[in-house]
Amino acid sequence: MIIEFINYTINGALLGLLYSLVAMGFVVIYRASKVFNMAIGEMIVLGAFLLWWAIQSRGMHPALGIAVALGISVLIGLAIERLLFRRLIGESVFSMIMVTIGLLILMRGLVLVIWGPQERQFPAIFPLAPIILGEMIIPRSLAIGGLIAVLAAVALHWFFNRSRTGLAMSAVAEDHQIALAMGISVRRSIAFAWALGGVLSVITSMVYLSGKSLTVLSSEIGFAALPVALLAGLESIGGLLLAGIIVGVVQGLTAAYIDPLIGGNAAAVVPYIFMLVVLVVRPTGMFGWKRIERV
Amino acid sequence: MDPSGIFSTSYARDRALIRTRAQWVALALFIGILLIYPWFASARLVAIANLMLVTSIVVVGLQITTGYAGQINLGQAAFMGVGAYAASVIEVKAGLPFWVAVPVGGLVAALAGWLFGLTAARIKGFYLALTTIAAQFIFHFMVLNLPSDWLGGVNGFSLQPAQLGAFVFNTDRSLYYLFLVVTLVMVFGAFGILRSRHGRAFVAVRDDDVAAGMMGVDVAGAKSRAFVLGAFYAGIGGALWAYQVRYVSVDQFTLFNSIWFIAMMIVGGLGSLVGALIGTVLIRGVQETITSLGPDLVERIPSLSSDLIFASMNVFLGLIITLFLLLEPKGLMHRWNILKANYRLWPFHH
Repeated sequence: MIIEFINYTINGALLGLLYSLVAMGFVVIYRASKVFNMAIGEMIVLGAFLLWWAIQSRGMHPALGIAVALGISVLIGLAIERLLFRRLIGESVFSMIMVTIGLLILMRGLVLVIWGPQERQFPAIFPLAPIILGEMIIPRSLAIGGLIAVLAAVALHWFFNRSRTGLAMSAVAEDHQIALAMGISVRRSIAFAWALGGVLSVITSMVYLSGKSLTVLSSEIGFAALPVALLAGLESIGGLLLAGIIVGVVQGLTAAYIDPLIGGNAAAVVPYIFMLVVLVVRPTGMFGWKRIERV
Repeated sequence: MDPSGIFSTSYARDRALIRTRAQWVALALFIGILLIYPWFASARLVAIANLMLVTSIVVVGLQITTGYAGQINLGQAAFMGVGAYAASVIEVKAGLPFWVAVPVGGLVAALAGWLFGLTAARIKGFYLALTTIAAQFIFHFMVLNLPSDWLGGVNGFSLQPAQLGAFVFNTDRSLYYLFLVVTLVMVFGAFGILRSRHGRAFVAVRDDDVAAGMMGVDVAGAKSRAFVLGAFYAGIGGALWAYQVRYVSVDQFTLFNSIWFIAMMIVGGLGSLVGALIGTVLIRGVQETITSLGPDLVERIPSLSSDLIFASMNVFLGLIITLFLLLEPKGLMHRWNILKANYRLWPFHH
């Protein structure tokens, strides 16, 4: 009984860390460009398809395949900046969100056109055998993913809060015009953000899909990770880990204990209700920046 | 801008929606054409026109919330779904006629809009967009996971045709007239609301909510009213939709549909009711053309599959949204207004 509870909690927490890795895609792009990227789920699927194409379809060695996929997704990120966001610097929030939604639909369409709607077996990048500790069973890819999430959070936190380039990018996230006036290149910052977003989405797709099947619908994890990003506050990278664990554990325990009672799938919607409550009580999340508004 | 020589000599004239005799004639002609349309169009075209009418009500509602009051709403399809389900429950469970079910659908959706408007009073920008996405997911969850004898679960609802006295609206043509009347009332209602003080408050809040608050506009109230109104329109549209397709299920109201509605609004022009109508007709028209030409194309070129047609619809929608935002962010109505102003000013520039 108690072992079961611990098992659900740990698995929930690891799933939560996967969510926070996905949410890092939101935050990294937001922290360097003030663009909220709704298309993150699609970017992950695109990264996954690139990996699948390189490793499974062309038969490359996994390490080479990963390198190729990373390279291509960086190029795609740069292209997105060049084609779309360079023209939108200083535009309204509405245009930015809608462009990323347009991007979401466009990418989904392109993935469907290029690879079709069939299910694909994603290469097992991490060993499939679960880690067994006493009576606890932990999926290995999630455990490694949790480790990657923590490492990535530490590195990115250092980058955005300590390094000179990262601080300049934070200025871009606060206000495009002021950043420009301070001599910071907004274009370069946005380009970097999307390239970094591309890299993160390939890494996330490895953790998320290793050894599972891949379809265009795998992108749903992008929306599942939204509550995590909001709970943490869109500007905080360290906070994502905590927020991810909270959401993951709540979801895991709901799935284990409440779903059998009501005979439904409450676990899918609990994060959203959680997100609504957070937004109403504290719109900037746990660690977000507070903004002062002037006319 | 009025044509030269037209001056408003009274406040009522200044507020008038239809300002010149030529506009009266044009409007009468347009409505006349709409009235005789089903006698010349094929059954399929009338059915498409019905969908356009229903959709235009929903998009007009979205235009009020997003285009006029500036509150991003990515959940319009969910509000439409709430209206459709409320009307179906009234019809199927309570057995009440459609002229009760449709307004109730609108009111229940307005209630849902009010709930989400509460959050809009506190938060804005993309946080608000995310809340309305949550509306979408919560709607989906409620329908699928509440006991299935409440809302039909995965099976959805089947409805009887709408009935007024002894007259049954069971053909596309009769429904067309019903929808046309409702749409006309709703659109004129929207014009009326938007020129009232509430409409002006919406515009003030959209342009700068901090400044609007300092000018004495009740910002929170205006935002929540905008949500209530937009959701009411969506609910009416949803209820009518239920009577058009006579089958309601949850996958008719997805996030994807909400995004289509936004695309229609962007193409027509943010902040223009006529733009909402034009965008709806254009995008729905293209959608229907692709779906009806699709099977034909597949037959001629066997290497194409129907999956590809569906995928190309995605590519089309994505391109439409991004290209319009980049190249013509104010939509087609903006272009039209420039053209009209130039025509009226010609041969002068200003």
